Amino acid sequence: MPTITIDGKSLEVAKGTTLLEAAQQLGVYIPRYCYHPKLSIAGNCRMCLVEVEKAPKLMTACSTEAFEGMVVHTASDRVKAARRDVLEYLLINHPLDCPICDQAGECGLQDYYMDYSLAKSRFSQADKVRRQKRRAVGPQLVLDNERCILCTRCVRFCSEVTKTSELCVVERGDHSFIDLKEGKALDNDYTLNIADICPVGAFTSRDFRFKQRVWFLKKTPTVCLGCATGCLIEAHHNENTIYRLVPRPNAETNTWLCDPGRLTYKAVQAGDRLVKGVIKNGLIDLEPALREAAARIDEARAAVAVLGSPWLSVEDNAALALLAKDALKTGNYCFDFNTEQGIKDGILINKDPAPNTNGVKLVKAAHGGLSLEELSRRITSGQVKVVLAEARAAGFIKDALKAAAPRLIAFASNRGEIPAGSYATLPYASYFEVPGTFLNYQGLRRRTAPSVEAPEGVKPLWAVINKLAAYSGTSLRLDSADEALKGVRS
Amino acid sequence: MMEFFEANKDILLFAGAAGAKLAVFLGAVMGFTALMTLAERKVSALMQDRIGPNRASVFGFAFNGLFQPVADAIKMILKEDFLPGRAEKLLFTLAPFFALVPVLALFALIPFGDYVMVYGYQVELQVADLPLGLFFVLALSGLAIYGVFLGGWASKNNFALLGALRGAAQMVSYEVVLGLTLVGLMMIYGSASLQDMVRAQGGLLFGFLPAWGVVYQPFAFILFLVASTAENKRTPFDLVEGESEIIGYFLEYSSMRFAAFMFAEFIEIVLISMLIATLFFGGWQVPYLYETGFLFPGGAELPLNHYLVSAMQVGSFAVKTIFFCWFSLVVRWTLPRFRFDQMMNLCWKALLPLALLNILATGAALLYLGKL
Amino acid sequence: MISVKKVNNKPLNLLERIYLWEIARGLLVTTGHFFTNLFNPAGILTVPYPEKTIPLPGNAKFRTRHRLKLRSDGSPKCVACFLCQTACPAYCIHIEAAEYTENSVEKYPAVFDIDLSRCVVCGMCVEACPEDAIAMDTEELPGGALGRGELLLNKESLLRNLPGEPSLLGASNRLAGEYLKSRGER
Repeated sequence: MPTITIDGKSLEVAKGTTLLEAAQQLGVYIPRYCYHPKLSIAGNCRMCLVEVEKAPKLMTACSTEAFEGMVVHTASDRVKAARRDVLEYLLINHPLDCPICDQAGECGLQDYYMDYSLAKSRFSQADKVRRQKRRAVGPQLVLDNERCILCTRCVRFCSEVTKTSELCVVERGDHSFIDLKEGKALDNDYTLNIADICPVGAFTSRDFRFKQRVWFLKKTPTVCLGCATGCLIEAHHNENTIYRLVPRPNAETNTWLCDPGRLTYKAVQAGDRLVKGVIKNGLIDLEPALREAAARIDEARAAVAVLGSPWLSVEDNAALALLAKDALKTGNYCFDFNTEQGIKDGILINKDPAPNTNGVKLVKAAHGGLSLEELSRRITSGQVKVVLAEARAAGFIKDALKAAAPRLIAFASNRGEIPAGSYATLPYASYFEVPGTFLNYQGLRRRTAPSVEAPEGVKPLWAVINKLAAYSGTSLRLDSADEALKGVRS
Repeated sequence: MMEFFEANKDILLFAGAAGAKLAVFLGAVMGFTALMTLAERKVSALMQDRIGPNRASVFGFAFNGLFQPVADAIKMILKEDFLPGRAEKLLFTLAPFFALVPVLALFALIPFGDYVMVYGYQVELQVADLPLGLFFVLALSGLAIYGVFLGGWASKNNFALLGALRGAAQMVSYEVVLGLTLVGLMMIYGSASLQDMVRAQGGLLFGFLPAWGVVYQPFAFILFLVASTAENKRTPFDLVEGESEIIGYFLEYSSMRFAAFMFAEFIEIVLISMLIATLFFGGWQVPYLYETGFLFPGGAELPLNHYLVSAMQVGSFAVKTIFFCWFSLVVRWTLPRFRFDQMMNLCWKALLPLALLNILATGAALLYLGKL
Repeated sequence: MISVKKVNNKPLNLLERIYLWEIARGLLVTTGHFFTNLFNPAGILTVPYPEKTIPLPGNAKFRTRHRLKLRSDGSPKCVACFLCQTACPAYCIHIEAAEYTENSVEKYPAVFDIDLSRCVVCGMCVEACPEDAIAMDTEELPGGALGRGELLLNKESLLRNLPGEPSLLGASNRLAGEYLKSRGER
């Protein structure tokens, strides 16, 4: 356990700790471009140079291991001069693209220039090296080689994290640039992480491109509901529109975020977003749609089947259970989902596409219910006249619905989700708009936070169920999502 | 039927003539008052190198703002008629009438001409010739205080009440001066009938000077001018309302109720201008014009038709009225407002003693001339 | 510590205290103006804005209505960097960016609205612009309009310069027209 001194403060660190990590433990920030905690160490950007006593030259903090008795200075004049010079070197050929560059506002060059340099340029703009700009690499990314500072984070990401090795540095010396390997396309499921880790504007997201300047974005920590992995994410939004999702690195679940997960926000503001009820195929206002659905439920009462959904939060599933048990007093309800779980590709994407399979189990434990097969059997046998189900969960009993064709009342947030042959569809607020509790595949409790407001009139699902119960004759008297959780172990 | 007309000819003629006079005179006054609201803004604009209202137009014809009163009226009518929740509803509603009715009634006493012969009948150009007309004027104008005070009190608003208190104090104080300044005139003319007073001003003094009230009583004229402006609550005595900052008794009034107060103020301007013309500037008299025509001091004569004479007399009255209306506007847009204590000092320590002195001097002069 | 300044006002003489003569003097001034203006309405200084405007004095460096400048090829200089929108203290600028497919500069404003009814004419947008694309030199005072719609400047009205402008600006005016036409946005 070597003890080192950084800027006058002593610290004992584990063997093998680098100076940069040690400084981080002390709260001393050392600027870096190529260093990334989850990638191998390259030591090529030279931004993290620090002065080590008795060493003749400055050392790169990211790649120098701490040894007993090291005395490190991170803010000496030599270090400051080195940082200024490294920045000048990096900026010699960097284009003046800031006004059109999406990275502006969260750009390593901008930030470090303001923090460590502020020197006037000694090079003419006309002499800057021209390289290929705006090259679409893969479905998600645009590469601008002029802006690249060759930190190789992207190359290392592709070879170490996704192990697909699409990118490489070609040519040598000052001719070198980032390129795709021959015959490869940058189309793995994690490419958008490259836009995140790129410290400059060389890789930018095609989806986010020119949509919004980053300094306008407000950040809400929430959870990705793309699969059972339940990655922690941050929704970046402004004026009631979500513009992008980025990962919130954490030890338990994720450092990165997959591309499909990043695009889940699109459904919230998609054109087919449901803001009205649907009866058969016609849009009608929410109130009459609710009353119509309630009337059909009231007709059937005990012949109603209620199906929970692993796509819904624990609260909303509990509310569905209360509707079946307390309001309709039917035995035909099912909260039994046993999809196989586990990381599919070794990185993040789960075998279970639904985010809350584990959460529904809590509801089942509290309220019981039929198994999925038993429910399907009862539907097929014609005992059930009306089925209430979340749109995607209705897929579990697809065959039974097809066979017996009961009236299907579905809950959906987008028109595209509505299952074929559904009698009525009621909209509910997305979990980007209302809070909800989810249990990921590890059994960790994940809670979404609303980052935008639901379209006018669209209510959380528990409130829709509450109204449905009241209109069909038995009020559940739910005033909040938490009230639905009565009896559910959380 | 005919017998009935024959039998009641006098009464019917009197009623018809009175009705016609009322309609014509009151119509003229109301129309003129409406124009006064425009004139106030136009005159002030011209005094301040501005243009004034010129946008209100009908089918694109603006006539330099002539339709502004119409636009104002429409706006006033369309405003919400607001009744404060805690107001005394009856008195709150009545107050604008208390402000409006006395001033309208006073027009009946103003002689706007001598007489005209219509089909052989002599029609006096005055709605009602009361023997004690001047007292009636003072009595009725005293009633206008009720409009102010009830309006302020019934609003149940502290600021309105304070405004009403200021108003009542001011009007009661200046009422005294107003009455006393006119005593001298009555002493000179020996009558309280307005028509008599005007007729008395038809003579000549020293053979060439029209014997107008202002010549006999120049001092009383100035006192009356000041007191009547104060009585009318106009700048520089407008601290009852103080439109721009201290607000007044009609704070809670809106829509046509407020318009009634505002209209009453403008009618009062016209009324006071008419009174000044009648009492001090010979009313309908035109210098050297007699019933048969002009008779100049040098001996030159210009005989004129009766109707032409009557028309000139009515015209003379109108011109004098318009001049004093204009003068009132000019005064308003020239002078700054008095402070309340200054205004009260002016009334009780300056105007009242001066008015009493004026009566004393008039009495002394009359005694010396042996006319008393 | 309150500093006290003694003001020695001249005491009023008798004529002034009687006040009537002073009133008459005041009335003389105002009636003078009244009659001057009554018989010579053309001499009134007030201008019936917005129908009539007066030219700004001299080589005015006023901040006036905004315009968007053009490159020599007629495309707008603006690259939709949003810095003016960021700098604007009145939140009157609304930009939506779009991408040129083939141009060397990738970004341009698809929508560029300035709400003059909100604008406080502070000039921050001009200061902030890194491309020197927005200018406030049209010598047209913003704010006078008979409807709110007239106060909303969109990209077209910002790109098209005013009639009667100097010839250099006239050329860019023409270029702006051609550019807008070529993009089918006119």
